[in-house]
Amino acid sequence: MRSFLPAVAEQLFRDIQRAYQESTQIPDDLLIALKFVFGSCALQALDLVDQRSVTCLSSPSGRQAFQVIGGSGRLYTCFLSCHYCPCPAFAYTVLRRNQGLLCKHILAVYLCQAMAVTQQESIPDQQMSAVLSGTGAP
Amino acid sequence: MTDILTLVFRAFSPQTGQKKDPSVGAPSPAPLSSSSTALLVGEHRLSRSVLLLAAVTAASELGVRVAFFAQSQIQSLPVFLSPHFQKITFSYPRTLEQLLHQVASLHESPSPPSLIIVDRLDGFLREPVAGSHAGFHSGPESSAAHLSALLCDTAAFLTGALEQRGSSSAPCRVIASFLSDVDSGQEGRDPSATDPILDVLDRYFQARCTLDQDRSYEAVAAAAQEVWHIYVSGTKDCEEGPALAQEWKLFSFPDEKETLDDPPGGFTD
Repeated sequence: MRSFLPAVAEQLFRDIQRAYQESTQIPDDLLIALKFVFGSCALQALDLVDQRSVTCLSSPSGRQAFQVIGGSGRLYTCFLSCHYCPCPAFAYTVLRRNQGLLCKHILAVYLCQAMAVTQQESIPDQQMSAVLSGTGAP
Repeated sequence: MTDILTLVFRAFSPQTGQKKDPSVGAPSPAPLSSSSTALLVGEHRLSRSVLLLAAVTAASELGVRVAFFAQSQIQSLPVFLSPHFQKITFSYPRTLEQLLHQVASLHESPSPPSLIIVDRLDGFLREPVAGSHAGFHSGPESSAAHLSALLCDTAAFLTGALEQRGSSSAPCRVIASFLSDVDSGQEGRDPSATDPILDVLDRYFQARCTLDQDRSYEAVAAAAQEVWHIYVSGTKDCEEGPALAQEWKLFSFPDEKETLDDPPGGFTD
């Protein structure tokens, strides 16, 4: 996912990626930094990562999208190149109130990518179109 | 996208190459030209003409394929432009859901477009949201974010696909028009208020092209013509550097208007 984040957040993901590659763990100082930068949604996102809730969907055309299983079991489709999530928190906190950078689902995508624990799934092109338009789920 | 808009404005300018650039001393070429997504904000009768000119200019001057989406059918087009229409695919989705699905399906096309145009985003976004649309939507802001993000993501994907084919028609650009509630003069609106949907669109579109009619005494006295100021500016910094601004002035003559439906009569800087 192309980043639209402040430099501090980008650096944080790079540090998490390096640390996880070396020890398959995220050290406490980086967890504290994650909480400091992203607030309460950091813990919720880590919970989603633990449950391996992020899947990268791919279709034969090469199109990709991320799908995150929320705490309630709902599927949220996030895009590869810019920040969007159909969840109520993104609509309210990010879009309407402008109080956050992203929601827990998008943060979970960033973390799963950094830790290389994203699930992979192939779907047909037509199904990908339905997923992207919000009219269908795989 | 702003490279095509600039091409359109220059093509219709009697004095080409005299760009007015408010940021004096800034390096050229303007980084704005690298913006791949642009939002046209202003009256529909002019914005649709600019969109059509952008489509024809992209098809004829750059030789690229164009996908043109509009809610209402285009009633008449000038005959002299018809040779270029084979590179333009006109689609008329009636609802937001149909538009989302058609844009989301562009990756399936064997010959993808290099320019995606959406006429009147506000028409799609202000319709009553169907309950089936993803089931999550809490309002038009979320719909605006979904549509904008899908357009940007589709353009990013198609740019990669075109580059992979070695096509010279990369990158894929997006241009859309929008009329704000504030500008449409709806009763009961505070003129100083900002449009929340426009705020959301500005998050995703790299450049904004504002069409502003000059209603000053001088403009009225200038003759039987309309005068428009066209401001092109970055809504956020481009990757290559800070966004710059450009300003153009459009003169619309009544008799030419009949010829081109709502044509610009000429652009000057």
